[in-house]
Amino acid sequence: MDAAGPAGRDEHTFLRELEALLADPAQQDNPLTPALARLLALHRQQNERIERLVRISDGYHGLSRQQTSGLADKFERQVRRLEKLARISDLYQSNLRDLTEALREASLKDPLTELGNRRFLMERLKDETGRARRKGAPLCVTILDVDHFKVINDTHGHDAGDEALRRIADVLRNSVRQYDVVGRWGGEEFLLLLPEVGLDEALQTAERIRSAIGEIAIGLDGATIRMTASLGLTRQLDDDLPSDTINRADNALLAAKRAGRNRVVVR
Amino acid sequence: MTKSFNLPASQSTPAIAADWDTGLLSISGDSYPENSFDFFTTTIEWIERFLAERDAPLRLELRLVYMNTSSVKAMMDIFDMLEEAHGKGRSVSVDWLYDPRNERVEMLAEEFREDCSFPFNILAQA
Repeated sequence: MDAAGPAGRDEHTFLRELEALLADPAQQDNPLTPALARLLALHRQQNERIERLVRISDGYHGLSRQQTSGLADKFERQVRRLEKLARISDLYQSNLRDLTEALREASLKDPLTELGNRRFLMERLKDETGRARRKGAPLCVTILDVDHFKVINDTHGHDAGDEALRRIADVLRNSVRQYDVVGRWGGEEFLLLLPEVGLDEALQTAERIRSAIGEIAIGLDGATIRMTASLGLTRQLDDDLPSDTINRADNALLAAKRAGRNRVVVR
Repeated sequence: MTKSFNLPASQSTPAIAADWDTGLLSISGDSYPENSFDFFTTTIEWIERFLAERDAPLRLELRLVYMNTSSVKAMMDIFDMLEEAHGKGRSVSVDWLYDPRNERVEMLAEEFREDCSFPFNILAQA
């Protein structure tokens, strides 16, 4: 409480006057003197109580203000922590997603030729079968096998064999349309899916590939490696399972081998 | 009870080795335990105890690669403890070692390092 304000000063002066009167020997017989003295004591006691109350109340007020700002700081800090946690977590998740994507790609790719592998070809064969049937369009499948490939490996070594496979892969990539599918079926076998073309056009493509492979010349220590390939070609039938089409193309390939290699057989 | 401990790595938890005498705590591997709170309790208590009972320097050597969110939180808690100790004048440091073929770990370690004022080194190590 402010005892220095005008009201406080008046009160102070009045109390001094009252004390002086009470102390005045001339007033000792006044019957009001003891009553006033008790009243003054009561006033002082009440005043003290009020001041204590105010002090306590102010104290609580200050404490609660301090607590509130402490809580706000704490809250702010927790929000920052959560944001950091989310940021780091997001980074980990996106790393894992990229890793998954890289693994998926690796699982579908042949590392030597960088063509799709057998798993990739099986997936695409199913996709293309579905698409062809929905559209009522033809789908042709060709299996290619390099003739006497073992001889290249045995004579010139595996590096030469690898190079031969890479060169064949290049020929295949360059001989097909954008929406044709090429992949390494295994060993020295390659598979082609030719959507939306009939056997005549597919046969032209197969012949083009066969002669382009015949053009490959790999120079090695003064020698030149040359190759030929046999191809089996078929058209998917309406009630074929994907494996039926593959088996027929395989039989056509076998027939091409039996007939003397370096040729295309249609079944 | 021994004050050092050695936890071998598992499929989903990193290897943790704490050496009371040298003040070296190393954590390495992937961390995605089902209950990260339980899993890191031993380690967090060890750090608390080390900071309370010893005044030697404390060094963390981390080779962490993948972590789930609750493990990230546990690591943030550990770094907060180190930050607090550092504020009280304790010598604490972190060396985060990563495979240079995986430079994304470097980015992650940098995120962790933010807000840390104690020595926090991020080092490529094959």
